[in-house]
Amino acid sequence: MEEYNFNLPKQTHDIFAVMARGAFISSNGTRDGMNRLYDVINNPENFDRLQAYFNVIRYNIERGNNFFYFSKLHEPNSEIEKKLERFERYIDIIDLFASMDNKIGIGSRFRPSEIAEECNANVRLKQKLQKIPLYRSETLHNKVREICDLMSRDSFLELEDEKTESYKVLDSYTYLLDIINSVAIYEESGSGDDTQGLIYN
Amino acid sequence: MENVRILNRIVEINIANVKYADIELSGNTCFVGTNNFGKTSLQRAILFFYSANSRGLGISASQKPFEEHYFRYENSYLIYEISTEEKPFFVIVYRHNKLVFRFVDAAYNPDYFFNENDEAIKIKEVIAGFDKRGIFISNQIDTFERYRNILYGTETDKQLSKFHILKGNEKYQNIPKSITNVFLSSKSSIDSRFIKDFIANSLTTENSSIKLEQVERQLRQFNEKYSDIETYLKKDSQQLIEFIDKKYDQVHMLKGAQMEMADKLGSSLRYAETQNEAVIKAAKEKEEELEKLADAHEEQKTVLEEKQKDVREEIGYYDRTIRDANKKLKEYKEKNIEQAVEKNAEREKLQVDLNIARREYESLTSNVQNIEMKYSSLIEQLRNDKTAYINKINSRTGEIFNHYNELQLLQKNEFSKKDTELKQKREDALVNLNAEVTAKQIEFNELKAEEKVIRNTRFYETEIKAQETELAELRAINYKNKSERAIKTNLVQTNQKEWENLEQKLKSSLSNQIQKTNNEIIRIKAEIKAIEDKLNVQHDAFYGYLEKNVKDWHTTIGKVVNEELLFRTDLNPTKVEGAVASFYGLNLKLDEVNVVSKTIEEYQFEKNERLAMIRDLEESMNQFQAANNEEKMVAADKFGKQLGELKEDLKVLNYSLELADKREKKLILEIEDWKQRASSEIEESLTGNKQKINLVEEELAILNKKKNNILNDFNTQLDKLKAFNDERLADLKGRQETEINELEVEKKNQVKEYEEKEASLSNEKESNFKEKGVDSKEIKKIDARIKELQEALKEIEQYSQIVSDYLKDKREIFDKLPDLIQKKDEYVKTANDLSAELEEIGRKYNVRRMELNKQKRALEEELIEFNNGINYFTKNFRETPVFNKYADIIERAEPKKTNYSVMDLCTQLLKNDSHFNEEYGAFQRYVNEFAGKFRLDNHFNFIIRNDATQGEYERFAQNLRAFINENKIELSIAETATQIGLVTDSIATKVKELSGQKDKIQHIITLIAEDFKKAEFEESKLIEFIKIRLEDSDNKVYKLLKRIQEFREENGLVYNEGLFNTDFATHKNREISTRAVKLLDQLRTAIKEQEQEEIRLQDLFELRFNIKEGMNETGWTHKIDSIGSTGTDILVKAIIYITLLHVFIKESSHRGSTEFKVHCIIDEVGQISAHYLRELLRFAKNRNIMMINGLPNKSGLEAHYKFTYQFRREENNNVRIFPSIVTEVEA
Repeated sequence: MEEYNFNLPKQTHDIFAVMARGAFISSNGTRDGMNRLYDVINNPENFDRLQAYFNVIRYNIERGNNFFYFSKLHEPNSEIEKKLERFERYIDIIDLFASMDNKIGIGSRFRPSEIAEECNANVRLKQKLQKIPLYRSETLHNKVREICDLMSRDSFLELEDEKTESYKVLDSYTYLLDIINSVAIYEESGSGDDTQGLIYN
Repeated sequence: MENVRILNRIVEINIANVKYADIELSGNTCFVGTNNFGKTSLQRAILFFYSANSRGLGISASQKPFEEHYFRYENSYLIYEISTEEKPFFVIVYRHNKLVFRFVDAAYNPDYFFNENDEAIKIKEVIAGFDKRGIFISNQIDTFERYRNILYGTETDKQLSKFHILKGNEKYQNIPKSITNVFLSSKSSIDSRFIKDFIANSLTTENSSIKLEQVERQLRQFNEKYSDIETYLKKDSQQLIEFIDKKYDQVHMLKGAQMEMADKLGSSLRYAETQNEAVIKAAKEKEEELEKLADAHEEQKTVLEEKQKDVREEIGYYDRTIRDANKKLKEYKEKNIEQAVEKNAEREKLQVDLNIARREYESLTSNVQNIEMKYSSLIEQLRNDKTAYINKINSRTGEIFNHYNELQLLQKNEFSKKDTELKQKREDALVNLNAEVTAKQIEFNELKAEEKVIRNTRFYETEIKAQETELAELRAINYKNKSERAIKTNLVQTNQKEWENLEQKLKSSLSNQIQKTNNEIIRIKAEIKAIEDKLNVQHDAFYGYLEKNVKDWHTTIGKVVNEELLFRTDLNPTKVEGAVASFYGLNLKLDEVNVVSKTIEEYQFEKNERLAMIRDLEESMNQFQAANNEEKMVAADKFGKQLGELKEDLKVLNYSLELADKREKKLILEIEDWKQRASSEIEESLTGNKQKINLVEEELAILNKKKNNILNDFNTQLDKLKAFNDERLADLKGRQETEINELEVEKKNQVKEYEEKEASLSNEKESNFKEKGVDSKEIKKIDARIKELQEALKEIEQYSQIVSDYLKDKREIFDKLPDLIQKKDEYVKTANDLSAELEEIGRKYNVRRMELNKQKRALEEELIEFNNGINYFTKNFRETPVFNKYADIIERAEPKKTNYSVMDLCTQLLKNDSHFNEEYGAFQRYVNEFAGKFRLDNHFNFIIRNDATQGEYERFAQNLRAFINENKIELSIAETATQIGLVTDSIATKVKELSGQKDKIQHIITLIAEDFKKAEFEESKLIEFIKIRLEDSDNKVYKLLKRIQEFREENGLVYNEGLFNTDFATHKNREISTRAVKLLDQLRTAIKEQEQEEIRLQDLFELRFNIKEGMNETGWTHKIDSIGSTGTDILVKAIIYITLLHVFIKESSHRGSTEFKVHCIIDEVGQISAHYLRELLRFAKNRNIMMINGLPNKSGLEAHYKFTYQFRREENNNVRIFPSIVTEVEA
């Protein structure tokens, strides 16, 4: 596919490199010129061109509130299932984040040690943190670090300052919140066969 | 000794590991010694003579510095002896804290430095020695710079000016640099980079490079600022700012309201706590007061009622008396008492008449007394019989009458008794009922009075009045605030306008200045171009011809020639041999005429002057812009602060007005509410009252009904009794009358019989009288008269009793009746007065009682409310976080009564807190989101920690508001716009400065190329040619820097406001700015990618060599590493170095100063062949350059040097340097 036919912005490769690995491009991200990439996609002219270009390779640019990501056209159900499984772990993480005294939201800056300290001081939070599966870190601090690391990899957080280990919550975090908000929980209706725990809208 | 200036010898005294060495250097010199024996150290010491730069000797950072390694002792000396055309002089280098120099006007002699024990003496002693010997020794030269100035002949001090090795020009620094560079250059391959470095380093100082770190920092700073502003100006950010502003207001308002409420809660609580006892006491007092009031009222009532009773009794008495009197009077009237009284008055007269009649009768009948007597006795007898009979009958009638009367009386008594009993019963029955009715009636009256009182009572008057007052005050304040707001709004507009005008003024002044400066620069550039044109053509023009061929032409032709002619290339001047100095055959005395032509230096000077003017202009432009910005900032500071304060005030006013409006509405509602409550209270009270009234009315009705029933019942009974009585009486009366009538009939018949008998007797008597002659008529008449009088008297007698009674009654009663009526009226009046008084007392009592009850109820309610409030507070509020939040305020509040209950306040606080938390959460989210859009260290300082306190969040909002009010973004934009100008300008200046040296490079390269051409390789044919050429640089960073410089020249200084898409940015400005930003961005990326520290002169160009050695031609290449054997390479390298050195020395020394030689120090030349070495030494010698080389061991090569020194390490680790005895086969 010749890029030139689409009159694409020169950052197309960078955009693709980020989004094709399932990551988000957020407007408040600063690492690797993420905010610039966001501006490039957000330019209406560029957006249409990029959309057309990526559609050819069966990717669709999805627009969130101040972030972009790829969705795949005609994605097989098995992939969707995998994604949902991957998402499940975030339910507990977001629950933990939302239960903090200093709630973590878009643009918040924090250090894992702060969260670990708060969890250590608050039994409820500690339990929540300990409950989060997948991680085997021994200390709370390391566990939070792993969470942050995971979220950074998934481009929901950004390690802003390596020295102070300061993270920033990116706009893509909205994506997680939106999904959580769209989860409807049905209570069990006795012995009915159609009982389901979680329904993803 | 040759008649040239040259470093003749170097002497080391206690230098490094060398105790003493005296090395001659007046010819090619070679040092032979294995590694680490000190060859290089010695070479460095020689280099130091030329460079006098202890840091530029190639000593690595891990090694000891030159000063410490070489000058270990206070008697460590480096001595350089320089031979001159006359006598030699020498330089002493020693350490006096730092390295210092002294020039000595004498040839070196070891005696100067050693004592008799061969020990090196201290510098003081050395100096003293010179003084003693009368040898000139200079003052201490403290700086390397001054030393170099002296050595290279630019020192102005006459005492020192003779101590030079050569006469350098302004570029003399190239000589030590070149010598140093040769020494320090790479030992293996020859890279054009090295040559470039060599040339560049020789031409530039350490500072004449573009430090990319600095540029990168500037770019980063600009880029960061730019990105911050860009982020700030984004729509999302602006939206967030609005949200933050709004939410902050809401949060602030809510917080304020909460605090106010907390204060009220605290006040209410304190008040409740402090007032509890007081209220209980007050309630008790009211209770007592009520009791007292009731007692007093009862007492008063009793007294009045007693009085009323007495009066009533009096009234009853008088009423009865009057009624009885009237009744009697009526009865008397019915009995025609008046006639009876009249007749009774005639009684006396009638009695007298009767007595007269009787005496008359007796006188008439005195003749017929017998007959009279007989008949009189018969008649009398008859009459007596008749009377007896009548009496009998009357007695019987009387008996019957009495009997029946008795019966009737009995009946009447019976009736009366029964009647009385019944009436008594009725009375008894009615007494309680009446008492009850009266009580109810009183109650009814009281209720009516109460209703009246209620209707007249203004409930919640205090509250309503207080609120009305508050409303009035609020309205007054509102009015004041509104006018203040109007004034401040006007002020804001005025200030805004003033600010805008000032900004506009500053902007136009800046653009005018820019325009003016640019025009001026364009003008000067044109002048520079004209000068450059002249300089460019001068070689081929008349000027060049004169320079080459006519000595001192400036003082001859230069005085008369037209400047234009000088630079014409078409004049083809030719020199006429043997011609005398004339002007077209004329001799002119030109001594007094000014020279009009200018030297190249003057042109150069003019050009430089103009360049300096441009720099000055740009500098002044920068200053102007800085001043302009400063003014802008001052204005922004002044107006921004004022506007900020005003806007803040306006906000506060608006907020106050908003609050006031709300309060007003609330107050109006509250007043309405109070009124409603008051009317409800009235209605409620009235409802209770009415209900009571209705109840009492009903009860009264029932009682009345009951009373009526009883009355009816009794009346029926009474009626029946009366009817029975009447019937019985009538029956008795009937029977009485019947019996009496029967007796009367009987009596009448009998009386008739008697009267008939009497008449017959009378007739008989009359007949007898007649018979006896007595006037019977007269007697009859008198008799009739007597009878008549007797009848009349009898009649009178009949009424005598009643008249007597009447008269008695009249005297005793009837005559007093008016008095009685008057008295009764008086009592009635008194009774009415008493009733009124009683009623009034009752009313007053009721009012007071109600009032007291109300007060008591209010106190009780207050008490209940206090207790409920305190309970509620303790149970439901004290443990909540809300209490903790406002604990300070609540606990510090003054006890004060508020319009709100503790419970309401607690509930409201809890409710509001939840609302506040919601709003605050949103506020926090907006702040986080906004701050998160910026870099961690953004220059606006929009940063908030995740665990920031509420205060910090609020300060963030306040600062943001101040930022907006003071329009700091405009300042930041202006600063950034200036910064981009400064950055591009700084880059352009640096690039220009650096590029300015490119001409020098071109010149040097030309000279080198020429020198290569001149090289006498023909003899050996070892090297056919060495060619060198200059090409444009392919350094990406430099290319970008160059583009920025071109951009800068094309567009002038980038002072524009088009950096951001603001209103006043024109399309052209925007385009220019976009390009500038893009270029700077590209440069930054390139710097990052290239990881180069600086752009030096050598990065501005590329050099290519083409060398042909024998059959080998390298072609145009950067790198010369495989021309031939290693020896060839070293040779070529050395040739190039020597060429370079030669060129630089030539360029950097005074034209006349040719009688000097310098050294070229190249360390390892061991691999060069003897043939090549000879060739090389000769090549150097032809260029007045002496070689100093190092060899690892003796190999025969040393035979080609004038001096050869060997190095040996002794047992004490000292190094000994000694001359090797060789035969000089020098070229």
